[in-house]
Amino acid sequence: MMHILKNARSAKLPRLAALLVAGLGLAGCNYEGGDPRKEIGANPPLPALQQYLVPPIQIARVAAWGNETPAVPQGLQVHALATGFEHPRSLYVLPNGDVLVVESNGPKPPINRPKDILTDWVTWFAGAAAKGGNRITLLRDSNGDGIPDLRTVFLDHLNSPFGVALVGNDLYVANTDAIIRYPYQEGQTSITAPGTKLTDLPGGPINHHWTKALLASPDGSKLYVGVGSNSNITENGIGAEYERAAIWEVDRASGAHRIFASGTRNPTGLAWEPETRKLWAVVNERDEIGPDLVPDYLTSVQDGGFYGWPIAITASISTRGSSRSDPIWWAKRSRRTTR
Amino acid sequence: MQQHATIAETSFIRDADLRPARRPRGRPIHRILVSFSAAYFAGALVTDTLYWRMLDVMWERFSIWLITAGLIMGGLAIIAYVIDLVGGRRIDRPAWPRVIGYAIAVLLALTNAFVHSRDAYTAVVPTGLMLSALVVIVLVLTALVAGALTNRHRFGV
Repeated sequence: MMHILKNARSAKLPRLAALLVAGLGLAGCNYEGGDPRKEIGANPPLPALQQYLVPPIQIARVAAWGNETPAVPQGLQVHALATGFEHPRSLYVLPNGDVLVVESNGPKPPINRPKDILTDWVTWFAGAAAKGGNRITLLRDSNGDGIPDLRTVFLDHLNSPFGVALVGNDLYVANTDAIIRYPYQEGQTSITAPGTKLTDLPGGPINHHWTKALLASPDGSKLYVGVGSNSNITENGIGAEYERAAIWEVDRASGAHRIFASGTRNPTGLAWEPETRKLWAVVNERDEIGPDLVPDYLTSVQDGGFYGWPIAITASISTRGSSRSDPIWWAKRSRRTTR
Repeated sequence: MQQHATIAETSFIRDADLRPARRPRGRPIHRILVSFSAAYFAGALVTDTLYWRMLDVMWERFSIWLITAGLIMGGLAIIAYVIDLVGGRRIDRPAWPRVIGYAIAVLLALTNAFVHSRDAYTAVVPTGLMLSALVVIVLVLTALVAGALTNRHRFGV
């Protein structure tokens, strides 16, 4: 108790100073992240929580590759398979080696607060506001020289697509608001058949995290969908988070779904671990409380597991994926600051 | 009865005598703008209090828009004030208690706008709510203190 009190008092002065400094438009403190080499392992240290007036934003400058290529070890080479896409966001390789490029971007976010105007401007600067193609392009490289000899529009007029999954002759595309099934024959270079809706997914009107990652179970009976939260940290109201920040399990036959895991703020990538056959996910965590807080993570996903968002901050593997989702249990185990 | 009327008349005349010899021409625009911004900031205190009690994000959004509107009005008021002051029209000389009090209130409100731009609960409770209250307190104190000072000397109103 004494320890907490002491910390609270000592934290007040810098906070007050930061308040005054930032109030004069001279904000700037603790904007650098910690040493990434320390932030690994089962129980990595978490930095102290920051409450900024102006959260640190580092904008990645948009720059074309030109003639440059990434440096890779000897024996390997990297070059662009294809260029000139409309905001390519995800890839899917079909069994015959054809590469599907999903060209997509989210719907325009609504302006709810003055901050949203600034956020729009910042994301535009980083290239995140570029128009998405709302289509899937197919690339075929028959002779394996790394230069595709066929490039066709595979599927067009989609609604912010992201995830793709093939089960037998059924090709599933996860649009931002629904999973659509299309008939597919191996070798097909374009789909013109109308799709059939398998199930609705949480879409607008806010649709903060719009990407819907998609993965089929090994036996093909279930589809797993990564559904991101509708906010950074529930600022759009908890009602907007219904069945969001979760990984859905969708029955392929009926389209019925259940929440497979929850508390996963924005699960943008799903995959099967080939040896243990467990579901793994990369999860994007919340912003604006420090450069390394809350850490984004890669985790195996437990059936019925809860992964913390929005009630807890933790990096401990022992707490992540707990079946408990009551705030008090989490409050005891999540560490807000560590030394 | 007769005596009573005489007293009233005398006090009115004395009052009139104390007015400055050189009367500013026109009506200072900044005073209207200041009133608007003060009303917006007071509104933000009300919506902040409602958010604190009800935890409905609608109130938090009302607050940040009210603070933003107050800051826009405040900014316009400062521009109008500087123009009037530099141009030498409408204002004789700055009423320092008012100027300083209002400047403090606007700076606090600006800080409050950043606090209100945080996401969810911490946008309001406790810092945002405290700052909203502080802005209103500073504005009220400014009006009281500056009012008392300027009325006595009848300048710089």
